[in-house]
Amino acid sequence: MTILPQYDGAGLRTAVRRELQRGRDFVDETEPDALVTVAVASVSLLAAFVGFLAVSSLTAIPFAVFLVATGYGWIRHQELTARVLTLTTTISTILILGLILVFIFAEAWPTVEYATMTVFGIPIPGLRLFVETRWSPVTPPIRYSLVPMIHGTVLVTIIATAVAAPLGVAAALFLSEIAPRTVRELVKPGVEILAGIPSIVYGFIGFTILSPWASDQFDIVGQGTYLFVGVVVGLMALPTVVSVAEDALNSVPESMKSGSLALGTTDWQTMTSITLPAAFSGVSAAVLLGVGRAIGETMAATVMLRGSPGLTKPLYNVFYGNDTLTSLIAANYGDADGLQLSALFVAGVILFITVLFLSIGSQYIEARMRQKLGGTD
Amino acid sequence: MAGAVESSLVNEDTSGTETIAASAVGLAAVLFALSLAALFEFVAITDPIAGVSMVVLLGALLVVLGAAVVAFGVGSRLGYVATQPRPSAGLVASVAFAGLWFVVGGLVASQTLGLGTVGWGATALVTGGVAFAATALPREDIGSTLPAGSLAILTGVIFLAGIIGPSWVWDLGWEQQASFNAEFAIPVVTAFCSLLAGWASAKAYGGFGARGRHVGAYVLVYLNALSIIAVLFLLVAFTVLKGLPGLFNGLAFGPGAGPETTLFGVTFTLPVSWPFVMNGVALLNDINGVLPAIVGTIWLVIGAVVFAVPLGVGAAVFITEYAERGRFTQVVEVATNGLWSTPSIVFGLFGLAFLVPRLGNGKSLLAGMLTLGFMLLPLVVITSREAMLAVPDEYRDASAALGVSKWQTVRSIVLPAALPGIVTGIILGVGRIAGETAPILLTMSGSVAPPGSQTVDVIGGFEFTTAPPFVDNPELLQATSALPYQLYSLITAGVGQSSNIANIDEFRWATALILLVVVLSFYAVGIATRYYFRRKLQHE
Repeated sequence: MTILPQYDGAGLRTAVRRELQRGRDFVDETEPDALVTVAVASVSLLAAFVGFLAVSSLTAIPFAVFLVATGYGWIRHQELTARVLTLTTTISTILILGLILVFIFAEAWPTVEYATMTVFGIPIPGLRLFVETRWSPVTPPIRYSLVPMIHGTVLVTIIATAVAAPLGVAAALFLSEIAPRTVRELVKPGVEILAGIPSIVYGFIGFTILSPWASDQFDIVGQGTYLFVGVVVGLMALPTVVSVAEDALNSVPESMKSGSLALGTTDWQTMTSITLPAAFSGVSAAVLLGVGRAIGETMAATVMLRGSPGLTKPLYNVFYGNDTLTSLIAANYGDADGLQLSALFVAGVILFITVLFLSIGSQYIEARMRQKLGGTD
Repeated sequence: MAGAVESSLVNEDTSGTETIAASAVGLAAVLFALSLAALFEFVAITDPIAGVSMVVLLGALLVVLGAAVVAFGVGSRLGYVATQPRPSAGLVASVAFAGLWFVVGGLVASQTLGLGTVGWGATALVTGGVAFAATALPREDIGSTLPAGSLAILTGVIFLAGIIGPSWVWDLGWEQQASFNAEFAIPVVTAFCSLLAGWASAKAYGGFGARGRHVGAYVLVYLNALSIIAVLFLLVAFTVLKGLPGLFNGLAFGPGAGPETTLFGVTFTLPVSWPFVMNGVALLNDINGVLPAIVGTIWLVIGAVVFAVPLGVGAAVFITEYAERGRFTQVVEVATNGLWSTPSIVFGLFGLAFLVPRLGNGKSLLAGMLTLGFMLLPLVVITSREAMLAVPDEYRDASAALGVSKWQTVRSIVLPAALPGIVTGIILGVGRIAGETAPILLTMSGSVAPPGSQTVDVIGGFEFTTAPPFVDNPELLQATSALPYQLYSLITAGVGQSSNIANIDEFRWATALILLVVVLSFYAVGIATRYYFRRKLQHE
């Protein structure tokens, strides 16, 4: 994947013209019968989608028409129907991302509007969510500050990254460069299974074993610490870091490594001076993805934290854990309505946007690396 | 390193010196194991071991280890030991040791000596600076052993002198109370020092220089891999041990032991009675179970697969086979990768905002299925695309040369060839979504402990109606339970809601175990499938 090239106006116009020309060619070349079938299918699917969006009970009718049309098309014009169907599925993938964006933004808007704050006479919607620290959905003054939860998420993410990044990169090095074949065949599925353990099981073990133990060890009042949530979440983000970093290390051409070894270096010297620098951007993309996983991890945080939004005192006191953005949503969705529910959606928007940026950023870095190493993809 | 064959051309005398270094590594390993045992409270730090208390033993061993490391370094410098050290231990080690000794100096000055901010700051800077100089300036054999060994000796002396004894507590003095006590601090500090000294002695074992660094690094990397596997093993073993009693409670075999079942109109009694997976929760049950949650999970997975697999494979076919590489495929790739990393709770919110109002205006099985389907979709796209890209272009060319159309090539060449990869990806993806709690929490969660009568019966639930959409299935539009959700609600439920369950703790662990079994069996099948097909491909 390369970086989107910058089109200027003229380039765009030629591109549009080319597409139009292709469309016209397509219509000319295709049999009218097939064209009609495909058109009917597309229009009816669109109608079904619109009906679904509008909460209409008639949605089923256009959908049935779509099924009949595609069924007919499949028998008579399979080639074209298959092409159109696969195009439809592709578009629906993008559409889902778009729908997520639109819907959680729309639900989040009331609270953003409620939290408008005027700075120098200019009203800035949502500013009060981030400059105050009071989360109080019931007792007046009612405020929905997300600062305590962002603080919690940041602390948990930092701790989780401190656990997952070094251990994950070391494990990736082990798997890709060091381990003998038999050991790798054992360790690699192990790491994958670590990813497979459901987060609620991690949370349950953390809740029943780790939290009481931590309260006892550190003389903490009550249960729930960011420290151990961070450790558990780090453990959960570890497999992501390992697998992506391993891919990056594997993509370093064997010839580079052999060249270095031929100069008489040890394996470790080759790793630190050839393999790791060459794969550096891929490895950092792996860490970024791991950070994304840690930010979005929900259930372990929900069952292990206290669920009472507020800042810890002092701010770097990681032995107390109140709430993260994710646990806020999971713990409060049940009895929330109106503005409070909308505030939960604001938390969702923050999570979504942050993780989306991390994902795009890591893809960008990976693409750069692949270009640099002269790969074909 | 792949393709490289190790051979030791020169085997110098491996007698005394290497044995000393190797036994130092061994001692460090013993210390590490002891400190872990103390940390997890298998042994209390006051317990006597071999006649002395644990703290004293740890302290003494640390002093011995540190002394051995330092002695080896000094001996090498003075030429008693044959090594190939470099002129300096290097910048990375210097910075690491400087930071470490900065912390140690600061802690000792502020906590033990009771100096103020200026005092401890100055002391910390001095110790850090000295450590930096001691690492960076002398030859490598001194630079990498002296700071590590003396830290171990200092820690050992502190333990032996009782400055940090069994009753030691360090109150951090924060507004929200927290403190370190000896039971935590002593094992952790010991473990850290033994790691450090173990690394230094592994370097010494390798004779310093490039080979020494290689050995030192490998010890740490192997330890890391080992501990990851150990953690995995512990997690699974612990859950299994805790869950087994509840899971097999009341298990009975024999003809007529099980409940009466009607299948395809034939009524028969099962030869096995397994209450935990065959019952719901009810007041009159002898042994309560999680049948509704198991059935709910199965239907969830089926629904998500039915929704996501055609969409995902279709999209993968289009972007791999039809679309030209360009802006459109890039957008699709970015979107699928973005969807893949979207937090599961956001999918839950989306389901709550988008699906729930449109599907019967309440939490429902169908909403849960679709939400999980949205989560599964990007994974199916990504893995199917990878599998199709791995199909060699020669296959396509050969097929096209026969004059068949593009779709026929895809259908009869590309898809069959890519099928193993696609299936593996789907199985692994299903394993992931089967254990997801957050999305179904917001879209389909039902009661905390559902009775057996609330088991969903999707197939029997279909009925025809006169009003659009003419087909109705109330079972699909009802809230129901699933294993991960059941575990979550059991953890957070108040006393009253689960009062029917006699031994709630056993019940929870058994639920956790059965969830783990369900999810991990998906993973096991997925990994085994991949392994099988890879072997098969290699043998062709």
